[in-house]
Amino acid sequence: MISLIRSEIYKISKQSKTLYAIAAILIIEGFVMMSAYYQGAGIIDLLLDNLKDSFEFRGNLLNGNLIIYLILNSLWFHIPLILMIIISGFLTSEYKDKTIETVMLQPVSKLYFILSKYIVSIAFTLLIVLILAVSTFFISYWIFGYGDLVVYLDGLNFFKSDDAFYRLINAFLSGSITMVFFSVVSLTLAVILKDATKTWIVAAIFLICSNLLLKMDFNNDIINELFFSKLTDSWQYFFYYEIPYSTIYFKNLLLLGYSFLVMIIGILIFKRRDIQ
Amino acid sequence: MILEARNIDKSYGSLKVLKNVTIECHKGKIYGLIGANGAGKTTLFRILLGLIKQDSGSIVIDSEGIKPIGGIIEKPALYGYLSAYGNLKVFAEIQRLKLTKELFYQSMHQVGLSPERKDAIKNYSLGMKQRLGLAIALLNNPDCIVLDEPFSGLDPMGISALHELINKLSNENQITVIISSHIVRELTDLCEILYVINDGEIIKSGSAAELLKENVTTFKIVGKNLELSEVLKSVDAVFLNKSVLVSPKKTNISEVLQRLIEEGMEVTSCIPQTDLKALFGKEQV
Repeated sequence: MISLIRSEIYKISKQSKTLYAIAAILIIEGFVMMSAYYQGAGIIDLLLDNLKDSFEFRGNLLNGNLIIYLILNSLWFHIPLILMIIISGFLTSEYKDKTIETVMLQPVSKLYFILSKYIVSIAFTLLIVLILAVSTFFISYWIFGYGDLVVYLDGLNFFKSDDAFYRLINAFLSGSITMVFFSVVSLTLAVILKDATKTWIVAAIFLICSNLLLKMDFNNDIINELFFSKLTDSWQYFFYYEIPYSTIYFKNLLLLGYSFLVMIIGILIFKRRDIQ
Repeated sequence: MILEARNIDKSYGSLKVLKNVTIECHKGKIYGLIGANGAGKTTLFRILLGLIKQDSGSIVIDSEGIKPIGGIIEKPALYGYLSAYGNLKVFAEIQRLKLTKELFYQSMHQVGLSPERKDAIKNYSLGMKQRLGLAIALLNNPDCIVLDEPFSGLDPMGISALHELINKLSNENQITVIISSHIVRELTDLCEILYVINDGEIIKSGSAAELLKENVTTFKIVGKNLELSEVLKSVDAVFLNKSVLVSPKKTNISEVLQRLIEEGMEVTSCIPQTDLKALFGKEQV
């Protein structure tokens, strides 16, 4: 098992698509920062226009914390989409190049092979989120400096700089669980569909539908609380004044449970299927 | 016996691709599986290698090694972005085999590849990839290897080199080799035993030399001024551009050749032509 994981890491480290994934994330970061640099002040003025009549604002609201928050919002769509494309490719490329046949011609357990793919995919996801977080914090504070964070979430919420830092760190940690869920789903889709293009299309549709269903009210408390798409926004809860820790823990634990279930389904399908 | 597949059946939906197939292989011998495209060769090999499951029947491999059987299905499927070393490292590691420098050099030399090349194998020729695929199949010293259409796409030099390598593996390493092809000539020089598969059934089996002898009805004779030969006209020979096809019915070929020499003709070669219809046909010979 360890040797399978090691060889998976070796393959990923030698593939150019790994670099493309990291580059794509840094490009997204760059675009958010560039647009904030040139247009951020105007947008904040527009956002706070009404409040400025009643309150006096001191300091710079276009600061590193706001930029980090803006980049954090790429966890809604951009980052999971990139992750789903890259991670499904870990398996679909093996089907396309038929290297999976050569692997299975060696004395290798199918269970351990696919399990190692899931483990490495989860580790890769966490690494990508870590790279995103570290680079975002470092560059944002370096270019835009520190300051209080203003967030629009059911109204405007203001957080002191230290508090904002704590909330942003935790949001990244919580968001990484959501990213793991989407990554596991994409690998399972790759197990089912085998073909890269089909997997990308279905993964993108899954992500879009998941985001749409998140906002939908099912008029049923159980579905509204337990359905998977209702669990992918826990990282946003860190930007309410009172952080609802119990809700966040519940959502994250349940989402981990869903990830585990999806992984088990993928493993069972892979084990039962012929390699061809 | 090193490998025995007995009464193998396999269907895809309503399509029966293998019907009651039985083959037996002994240590150190080279076996050929010959059949037209779509006859079921690759499906049988996939089953022997454990890539797909048979619907019924049994496979017994008498080996106590870590890897009883290795092989290549169709083209060698390798990681194009890795070097030969990288590929061997990955495939060795997944079977818990440490690829030392000695093992790497030994594996590369065994299949006649240079261990000095450091570039990605996507730059390799098909023949080189075939050899590297074989090096991977031979990791952990299997007792038996299965090669599906290994000569497909190779140039004559590549085919000759692969023939030599397969003979070496069989003679020196006592590895059982099972090769499939739809081209008769590729297997005749190499294999001791042939299995003929048609429409998912093994229809003939036995000594390669005997099977081919029984299915040769025509000979291609090449020589000088053969068009002037009265002997050839008397046996209804078909005159081609620079050769003649003879299908002796009442006499045998040695008699025809003897008469040609007596007639003063200079014969430079006489090549048996396998009757594929008879070989791949269901009637017993």
